[in-house]
Amino acid sequence: MTTEITNRINQILQTYGGQPEKLIPILHAIQKEFNYLPEEALSQLCELSEITPSQVYGVSSFYSQFRHQKIGKHIIKVCVGTACHVKGSMQVLESFKRELKLDERQETDSKGLFTIEKVACLGCCTIAPVVQIDQITYGHVKIDQVAEILDDFLNQNGQSVEKVKNASENFHEIQGEIRIGLGSCCVASGSEGVREELEKTIQKSKLNVDVKQVGCVGVCNQVPLLEIHKKNEHPVFYSKIKVGEIKEVVHEHFRPQRKRDRLKTNFFNFFDRIASNQDSISLKRYSSNIKESPITEFLDGQINIATEFRGVLGPTDIEEYKKLGGFSAFNRAMKELSPDEIIDQIEKSGLRGRGGAGFPTSKKWKLVKNEKSDIKYIICNGDEGDPGAFMDRMLLESYPFRVIEGILIAAFATGAQKGLFYIRAEYPLAVERIREALKICRNEGLIGSNILNSGFSLELDVFEGAGAFVCGEETALIASLEGRRGMPVPRPPFPAHQGLWNKPTLVNNTETYAMVPWIIKNSAEQFNQIGSENSKGTKVFSLAGKIKRGGLIEVPMGISIRQIVDKIGGGMAGEKSFKAVQIGGPSGACIPASLADTPVDFESLEGVGAMMGSGGLVVLDEDDCMVDIARYFLKFSQDQSCGRCTFCRIGTKRMLDILEKICSGEGNENDLSQLAELSEKTKKGSICGLGKTAPNPVLSTLTYFRDEYIEHIHGNCPTGKCQALIQYDITDDCIGCTKCSQSCPVDAIEFKPYEKHEIDIDVCIKCDSCKQVCPSGAVITRSNILRNKVIAKGERLKQSVSN
Amino acid sequence: MIELKINNKSIQAEEGTTILKAAESLGIEIPNMCFMERYSNHPSCMICVVKDQNTRKLLPSCAMPVMNGMNIITEDEEIIEARKDTLELLLSDHVGDCEAPCKLSCPAHMDIPLMNRLIMEGSHQEALQVVKEDIALPLILGYICTAPCEHACHRKQVDDAVSICQLKKFVAKFDLDSKKIYFPEKNTPSNKKAAVIGSGPTALSAAFYLTRFGHEVMIFDKHAEAGGSLIKAVHDHTLPVEALYSEIDYLKDFGLKVQLNKHVKQEAFNDLKKDFHAILLATGSENSNQFSINQFDKQTYTTNLEGVFAAGSIVRKEKMAIRCVAQGKEAARSINEFLNGKSFTNKEKRFNSKFGKLLASEFDEYLKESTRDDRYTPENGKIGLFNMDDAIAEAKRCMHCDCRDRLNCDLRNYSEQYKASQKKYLFGKRNEIKKNIQHEFVIYETEKCIRCGLCIDITTKDKEHTGLTFIGRGFDVRMQVPFNYPMSKALTKTEKKCVEACPTGALAFK
Repeated sequence: MTTEITNRINQILQTYGGQPEKLIPILHAIQKEFNYLPEEALSQLCELSEITPSQVYGVSSFYSQFRHQKIGKHIIKVCVGTACHVKGSMQVLESFKRELKLDERQETDSKGLFTIEKVACLGCCTIAPVVQIDQITYGHVKIDQVAEILDDFLNQNGQSVEKVKNASENFHEIQGEIRIGLGSCCVASGSEGVREELEKTIQKSKLNVDVKQVGCVGVCNQVPLLEIHKKNEHPVFYSKIKVGEIKEVVHEHFRPQRKRDRLKTNFFNFFDRIASNQDSISLKRYSSNIKESPITEFLDGQINIATEFRGVLGPTDIEEYKKLGGFSAFNRAMKELSPDEIIDQIEKSGLRGRGGAGFPTSKKWKLVKNEKSDIKYIICNGDEGDPGAFMDRMLLESYPFRVIEGILIAAFATGAQKGLFYIRAEYPLAVERIREALKICRNEGLIGSNILNSGFSLELDVFEGAGAFVCGEETALIASLEGRRGMPVPRPPFPAHQGLWNKPTLVNNTETYAMVPWIIKNSAEQFNQIGSENSKGTKVFSLAGKIKRGGLIEVPMGISIRQIVDKIGGGMAGEKSFKAVQIGGPSGACIPASLADTPVDFESLEGVGAMMGSGGLVVLDEDDCMVDIARYFLKFSQDQSCGRCTFCRIGTKRMLDILEKICSGEGNENDLSQLAELSEKTKKGSICGLGKTAPNPVLSTLTYFRDEYIEHIHGNCPTGKCQALIQYDITDDCIGCTKCSQSCPVDAIEFKPYEKHEIDIDVCIKCDSCKQVCPSGAVITRSNILRNKVIAKGERLKQSVSN
Repeated sequence: MIELKINNKSIQAEEGTTILKAAESLGIEIPNMCFMERYSNHPSCMICVVKDQNTRKLLPSCAMPVMNGMNIITEDEEIIEARKDTLELLLSDHVGDCEAPCKLSCPAHMDIPLMNRLIMEGSHQEALQVVKEDIALPLILGYICTAPCEHACHRKQVDDAVSICQLKKFVAKFDLDSKKIYFPEKNTPSNKKAAVIGSGPTALSAAFYLTRFGHEVMIFDKHAEAGGSLIKAVHDHTLPVEALYSEIDYLKDFGLKVQLNKHVKQEAFNDLKKDFHAILLATGSENSNQFSINQFDKQTYTTNLEGVFAAGSIVRKEKMAIRCVAQGKEAARSINEFLNGKSFTNKEKRFNSKFGKLLASEFDEYLKESTRDDRYTPENGKIGLFNMDDAIAEAKRCMHCDCRDRLNCDLRNYSEQYKASQKKYLFGKRNEIKKNIQHEFVIYETEKCIRCGLCIDITTKDKEHTGLTFIGRGFDVRMQVPFNYPMSKALTKTEKKCVEACPTGALAFK
C-alpha cells in the first residue's frame, strides 16, 4: 500500500512540483485520487517534498473542502445558504440524517454508501432548498422526498448516459436554433438531461436544428429554459421544461423528415392540453410576444453591462463574443490608449469595486501602476463565499471572455505580467469554463507573451480555492495563493504595495473586471450616466428568497429595493407579506419593508446600517424569524472566522452564545444590551473585514426588529421558527387524510382515517414534515410558552389542544 | 523616514517600523502578549491596540507599521476599555486555575501544592519553610484546623481530598524533631518594640511575624498559661498539650518574650502605650470594648487609637483557628508598615482564573500528574501522625492544580492591571481540560492556550522538522502537533524558547 501511495504522490508532485506554495492544488489532487486525505499520503507528501508537516496539517484543516476521514461512496451536500436556510434546509438535513439513520455526530451511514455534508452555499439559490448528491443536484427539496431522492439518485447513478451526437451536419438548410441555458442553476435543474434529450430528438427526427448552449439567462427560477428561434419568427420560451416534454416541444416547431402523421397526432394532443389549460405537467410556456409575460417583466428594467448579451452568448464561443464586439475594448485600450488614459477613463466612469466595500477602482489601479517592481500580479477575486450570492459564479460561467478581457485591460493599465483567477472550489463549472476560455485565448494569442504583437505579456491561470469564506478578503486570498492558511493580515501594507510574494498586486472582484470592457468600448461618460450620484453604473445581484421570480439581475445603481422586489422579482410568492431584504450576506444587514424605498447604492445602504456586500439579495417574508436570521449569519461568520484575532474568534462566538440563548427562550433584557455592546466592540476591535462586518446582521435586526427579540425573551417566537419555542398542533381544519401520520418519522401522529389527527407533543421532534404535507393547512405551530412554564414548575401537564 | 506623533511627541521612524517599536524608542510601553521580536508575524491577542487620532481607529500596534502623519495615542479610556474587553474575551475561553483551589480557600493562603511537591521529593524541611511563610503554628493547626483547603481540593471529586492538614502536621513535627530546627531569618533589628496582648492563635501568629520583621515583641496574657483559646482544644483532647508547648517554646526560642499572669487594664495599657511603639489587642472574644476603643478597621487592623491594633475574635468572633492565624499574620504586616512609617496598603487581591469543578472526564487528565492511591490516614486518625513513607505517598496524591506560570503569566498580570473579569463573557459550556505530558520536560495544557501562535512561529522559523501548527479555524482553532505526533517530536530544540514565549501557562516546563 505504501509503495502505491508513494507512487501516486510522486505522480502528483511531478504535475505540480513540490514547492510549499503548491500545497493547495496538491491537496486537491490527493483528495481527487483518494476521495479524502489519507494520513499516510500526507506524511509521504512531507517526505517527498519541501512541504512540512505543520504546513500540511495547518492548511488541510483550515479549508473545509479537505477531508481527513474516509467517506461514503457518495457525498450528499445539503446547501445551507441563506435562501436554502429560509426555505428549511436544516430540516432537510435532519430528514436525510434520519433516513440514513445517522446520529448527531455521524456523517457516514453504516453501509458506507452516503456521507452527508453541510455546504455553505451552492449558489443555486433560486431553486432552494438544494441538495447535491455527487454531481446530481436536486432543487426544491421537500423533507418527505428524501427517500425518493436517494432512490432516484441510486437509479440514475447506475446508468451510463448515452451521448448522442448531433446529426445536423447531414443537412444543408438550417431550420432554426434552440438555445438552452447551461448555468449552474440550469444544470442543477436538469438542463444537461434536457440538452441530451434535445440532441437525441433532433438526431432521431433528422432535423437540421442547431442546439446552442448559452450562459445563464438569469431567469433562474424558470429553468431549465428553452428558447426556440426560427428565422423571421418571434422566439418562444419554454420554462421549467422536463426531459419527457422535449419531443413534443421540438416537434411543435420543427417538422421531422418522416413519420409526419405521428407527429401530427402528438402535436394536436399537445395543443389540446395547452388550449384546455390542463397544466398537469409543470410545463408552462411563455412566448416573448406576450408583453406581460413574467420573463419579460423580469428582464425589463435591467441594464446589461456585465451581463451584456445574456442568453445569446455561448459561454466559450470566442468567435461569437468577438462578433458582438468582444475584445474590441482591449484592442482599443492597447492600441489607442496609454495606461494613464485607461485609468483616467475608469476614474471618469466612477466605477467602484464590486466586492462589497466600493473602493474606487481607478485609485487601486493607479497605486499598482505607480509601483516600481520587476513583477506585478493581477488577481481576479472569484471567491464568492457569501451564502445567498452567486453573481461571480454566473459571470465566470457565462461570460468568461468578458472577465478575461477586463483583466487584460487592467493588467495592461497597471503593468501586471502575471494573473490568477481565484475561484471557489464549490464552483466546478466556473473553473471548467474559465480554464477552457483561457485555453482558447492562449491559442488566439490573447494571453501569453507578446500579446497580438504588442509587446505586452500576461500569463493567466486558475487557482481553485478550498472552502474558506475569509479568503474573499484580499490579504487572506493572497495567503491562500501562497499555500498558507487563509489568515488576513492588517493593512497597510496594502496588496497594491506588497501583495502576492510581496510584489505589487491588483486584486479586483470578478464583477468589477466584467464592467471594464463595456466602459472602454462605450465610453466612461455613458457608464457614468447610469446610477446614482456616488454609485455609478450597474450592480449585479443574485435575487432569491420569498419572491415570485428569483435569478441573476443587473440593475442600475440607485434603483430602490421595492422596485427590485416588486417589479423584477414579481412581488412576494404565496400571498405572504414582504418583511425585509437581507442584503450583503453575512456582512450585510436586514432592511425592513418600511425602508424599501432606500436606493440601492453604496452610501444609501450604509446609511441604513447595511452594506452592498458582493450582491446577495434574499427577500424575507412574514414567516421568517429575524432573530433566527441574525443567528444564522452569525453562526456562518463564526464558522468562517480564521480564528486569529480575539474579537473575531471569541467575540462572535459569545454573540452567538447570547443569540442561542435568546432563540431558546432563555434570554433576558440584559442579554440584548450585552449583545449590542459586544457587536460594537467586535466591529471596532477586529482586524479584517470579516470580524468588522460580522455584527451587521445582528445590529440591523436589533435596530429594526427589536420587538421580535423582546418577544423571544418572553418565550415567544412570533413566526414559529425557533424550535425550542414552538409546538406543533392540528386544527379542526383537518380532513383526516392521514398524510401527516404517514409522513411522521417518529410516529407522533396516530393513523386515523377520516378523523381529526392529533400530535403527541412529547414524541414530536418538530421536523415540520406534517406541516409540509398537510393539504388543508391544518397543521400549525404555536408558541409553547405555557408548556415551558409548566415544565419549569416540574409538572408534566400537557397544554390542552383546545387552547 | 516616516514622521508621526505618538502621545503628542513628534518622532521619526524608519519605514516598516511598527508603532509598538516606535513608541518603545520614546520610552512608551504598550502591553503585548502575542508579540515577539523577529518571530511573531501576525497580531492576534489585540491587547496592544492604540488609536490613531486622525481616523479614530484602533490599531494593533505590534504589527501596524508607522505611516506619515499618524497621530497615535497609546492610552485613553477607549483603549483601556478595548484592552479590558480583549482580556475578558480571552478569559472566557481560558480554562485553568491560576492558584490551586486549596490555596485559595486557605484563609492563610498557604502554598499547599508547593508544600506537597517538596514532601514528595523528601525535602520536608523545605516544605516546612513554605508552610511557615504563612502559618506560624503548623503543628497546632495540624491538629485543630478544620481544613477548608481539603473541602476545595479537586482530588476530593476524584476520590478523597489530599490529606493536606496531616501533611502540614507531618512537616511541622519533622522540623521540631530535627537536630537543626528551622528559624526564619529576621530582618535587621528595627529597635522598635511591639506589645501583643493575648496569647491565643492570633497573638502568637502576629508575634512570630513581628519578630521576623525585626521588632522586639512582648506577649502579655492575664492567664497563667499561654495559648488562649487553644487551651480549650487541649481540654477537648483535640490538641495534645505537648504540641501546644512545643510551638510556644519554639516561638520563645525564636526571640519573642511572654509575660503571663499580666492582666492589662487601663492603667497598664497607658504604660504600655508609652513603652511600646505599637500594641496589638488579640485578647479574644470575651474582652472586646475596652480602653475606649470603639472603632476597628478590619482591613488594616487599626483602631481609633493610633498605634493600637486589633485582630482575631476581639474584632469579630472567629471559630476557625486558621482564620485567627491568618489575621495575626496580616496584622503583623500592618503593624510593621506602621513601625516603618508607611501607611498600610492592604495587599491587593491577585487576579485568579478559576474554572470551578472538574468534569468527570477530566479526572484522568489530572491524575496524569498524580498517583491513583487511596487517601492515606495515619494511625489514630486526626490525632495521629503520618510516617514518612505515607506522608510522601500521600503528597504524591496531589494533582498540582496550581498553574506553573502563575507568577509570570501575562494574561494574569494584565487581567489584574486592567481589572478584567473572567465572568463577563462566561456563558455556555466550557472546554474540557487536556494535559499533554508526553514531552520529557514540557507540559502542554491545551485549554490555557490563547491561540497567539508564538510557539508555532518559533518552531517554524527555527526549523523544527515537525514543529507545531494551528488546526482548524474559527473559535475551535487550536495549537497542535501535526499528524498527532508526540510533543517530543515537535519540540526538539525550541522547547525553551517556546515555553518562555508562551504568554500563559499553556506551555510550561514540568
